[in-house]
Amino acid sequence: MATSAVARETVFALRRQIAKIEGTLSERLEASAGAAPVDADVSPQTLTLPRNLTIVRRGLAVASQDAFLSTGAERLDAALSGGLPKAALSEFHGAATRDAGAVAGFVLALVSLILSQGPRLPVLWIGTSEVFREAGFPYARGLHAFFGIEPEQLLFSEAPRLLDALWVAEEAARMTALAAVILEIRGSPQRLDLTATRRLHARAQSAGRPLFLLRQAGEPEPTAAPVRLILSAAPAAARQTIAGPLAGSIGRPAFTVAIGKSRTALPGQFTLEWNPDERIFEERRGEQGRSQESAPERPKNPLPVVSASRRREDPAAASGAVLAFPAVGSPAAGDQPSPRERPAHRRPRRTG
Amino acid sequence: MISHRQGNAQRIAALDERAEALNLKRGMGIADACAMHPSIDIVEADPEADRRLLEGLADWCDRYTPLVALDGTDGLYLDVTGCTHLFGGERSMLDDILARFFHQGFDVRAGLAATPGAAWAAARFAGDRIVPDGEEEALLAPMPLAALRIDPEVRASLESVGLRTAGAVMAAPRAPLARRFGASLLLRLDQALGRLDEAVSPRLPVAPLSVERHLAEPILLTEDIERLTGMLATTLKSDLERRGEGARRLALLLFRVDGGVSRIAVGTSRPLREPRLIQKLFHERLAALERDIDAGYGFDLVRLSVLTAAAFDMQQADLAGETSDDGADIALFADRIRARLGEGAVLKPVAVESHLPERAVATIPFTEAPQRSSPPKQPDKAKDAPTTVFQPERPIRLFRSPEPIEVPATEMPEGPPLNFRWRRALYRVARAEGPERIAPEWWREAAGREDAPTRDYFRIEDADGRRYWLYRQGLYGASQVPPRWFMHGIFA
Repeated sequence: MATSAVARETVFALRRQIAKIEGTLSERLEASAGAAPVDADVSPQTLTLPRNLTIVRRGLAVASQDAFLSTGAERLDAALSGGLPKAALSEFHGAATRDAGAVAGFVLALVSLILSQGPRLPVLWIGTSEVFREAGFPYARGLHAFFGIEPEQLLFSEAPRLLDALWVAEEAARMTALAAVILEIRGSPQRLDLTATRRLHARAQSAGRPLFLLRQAGEPEPTAAPVRLILSAAPAAARQTIAGPLAGSIGRPAFTVAIGKSRTALPGQFTLEWNPDERIFEERRGEQGRSQESAPERPKNPLPVVSASRRREDPAAASGAVLAFPAVGSPAAGDQPSPRERPAHRRPRRTG
Repeated sequence: MISHRQGNAQRIAALDERAEALNLKRGMGIADACAMHPSIDIVEADPEADRRLLEGLADWCDRYTPLVALDGTDGLYLDVTGCTHLFGGERSMLDDILARFFHQGFDVRAGLAATPGAAWAAARFAGDRIVPDGEEEALLAPMPLAALRIDPEVRASLESVGLRTAGAVMAAPRAPLARRFGASLLLRLDQALGRLDEAVSPRLPVAPLSVERHLAEPILLTEDIERLTGMLATTLKSDLERRGEGARRLALLLFRVDGGVSRIAVGTSRPLREPRLIQKLFHERLAALERDIDAGYGFDLVRLSVLTAAAFDMQQADLAGETSDDGADIALFADRIRARLGEGAVLKPVAVESHLPERAVATIPFTEAPQRSSPPKQPDKAKDAPTTVFQPERPIRLFRSPEPIEVPATEMPEGPPLNFRWRRALYRVARAEGPERIAPEWWREAAGREDAPTRDYFRIEDADGRRYWLYRQGLYGASQVPPRWFMHGIFA
């Protein structure tokens, strides 16, 4: 009927206006002049769309790939329709303060991805004194070992009060000389409301830099951030050695990522593993990584075991021509190789 | 009237004119004074407050000259060499000082002379006199011995031999004087007469560069102060340019009409001379101090001083007229944060050669990073020899002070715990790696002190998959004290 057609037009107009106000990427939800006034009785699914109409997801329209930070884990990227927005505020929640390691680790892994792509600009980590006391101060040696972030690239700002931390974050978010800004807050303070996050988001958008808001032990509250991920630690897989996984050892950092808020994705849960050597995320599917590890176990043989090469999965190429069995490439992301097809066994054979 | 305790009795320390009119004297006992005039008002002396007041006045006198020194408990020296022309000559400067102090409610006496000693005497015994150069002797001659700034004992013994004026001492032969009354008498005499130099040590170091503006109409608003700061900084810029320097520390002095002085200092992480940026820094500082600065009736003199300057490297701008220097942006950003939140608000980590985890990284306040002459070292994959040595794993977050945890049981005496209690929550250990033994740095220990116990670090994963870094301090059975366990860090 005509009335519902008019109502749809109004909704479209309002959405356009909201998109304009929020400054999201140009939304092309136009029921443009060329589009025939559609019959309102037809449901949108069965509607035959006019040729010049591009329906995209609400909020984040078709944008260049540059606008998103791809995590490298395909399913998560697909769920987030390309990754995390680069020029935006993103929220990362941990259920309790003891999850601070996982939350910070995941965000630092993202920072590491950003640094590997762009120029080597510094990263500013802002926190209140409270959160640094409760969750520990960032340790530059560990950050370097796990995420390849040099100490010279790190700046910390410790603010005694939340108000000061927010001010610093707002000032920092508008700077283009920083690769990323991390703001860490503990709990669910009143001041960090929709308005405050919107201010941060707007500044991050105009500067084109990501602002990661880490909320330790925070409640999921209304936020202007387009994406909110809920993080927790996942049991790590065992260390890989030449002789197979080393029982009882603690391997690469692993995270359980749940999408708490996204305009595009349905809620979902993913288990990612961070590879500190290659500096990429690998997605872990199923439970084969830790199937047998429900019970605490100890190494049966405490003697030192030769470890696989730490630096990269394949050892340095030996001189000489590779004759047969060219490298298959890295295993499918996230899949733990079963003992039979471990990289050590799939290595190209060499002449000598 | 003000009393103070001297010896065993309350005595009069200071008194006003009306009390003087009642024939009371300094040093008289309070009991006697009360007996003579029961209605007098007595206040206990507070030397500390007097001192603060005098320092406040010295700050205020900074408007006349940067060289202000305290003189005892009741005087100030102002070295006005080269400053008098700014106020229209010596006479008008002295009048200005006296008038301003009078309006603030102080009764001051001033003297101006070529030597500190003569000025001291002129202020105390001649009253608002300007002594021309070379006439110190004529000034001092008729004065009592007290004008020579000598000890009371020396004065008393001089008087006992009949030398009652400074002129008489000057006329006496020097050698016997020195033999009988000590060298200090002649020293004071020579200093007063200008035969010996006397240094007046100023309270504050003199700023290398200062610009100031006297205001006919006092200003009250923060915006006005900021705008004025910008104007002063513009003036300062040309001076800095001529010297090829930039400011590292700046101070803004606000002189209140009624004598209060507010001093606002900011530091910069790289030499700065751009007025706009200086104004921005003071904007942050003023915003942070909004509650602490009392404008009162307004400020009538604003001075901007460069306390520390450093060589300023010129940078060539690109064709668009902008220097695309991210470092400058960050330096300015850090300065603004520090101006508002304090020196420690922006920190940067510095790797330290140490195997102790808490010492291996030091966080220092952000300053300009040392300029690299060579590009940062890139890990060269081709040349990188395969490392066989395990890099020890380090956590991504470290607690500033390790937190004690309770460990009820370990599988083996030297092994990892089975479970532990941290912050009143129980954690079950699923897997553990370790131990990594970290010994204390014995070469840093003070001699004779008991050795700090060694630590055995374990990497722990709890049942939920969180990874921690624990350590056991001390060994089982090594001493009577059982080893203690601590939580030191969190892994990703």
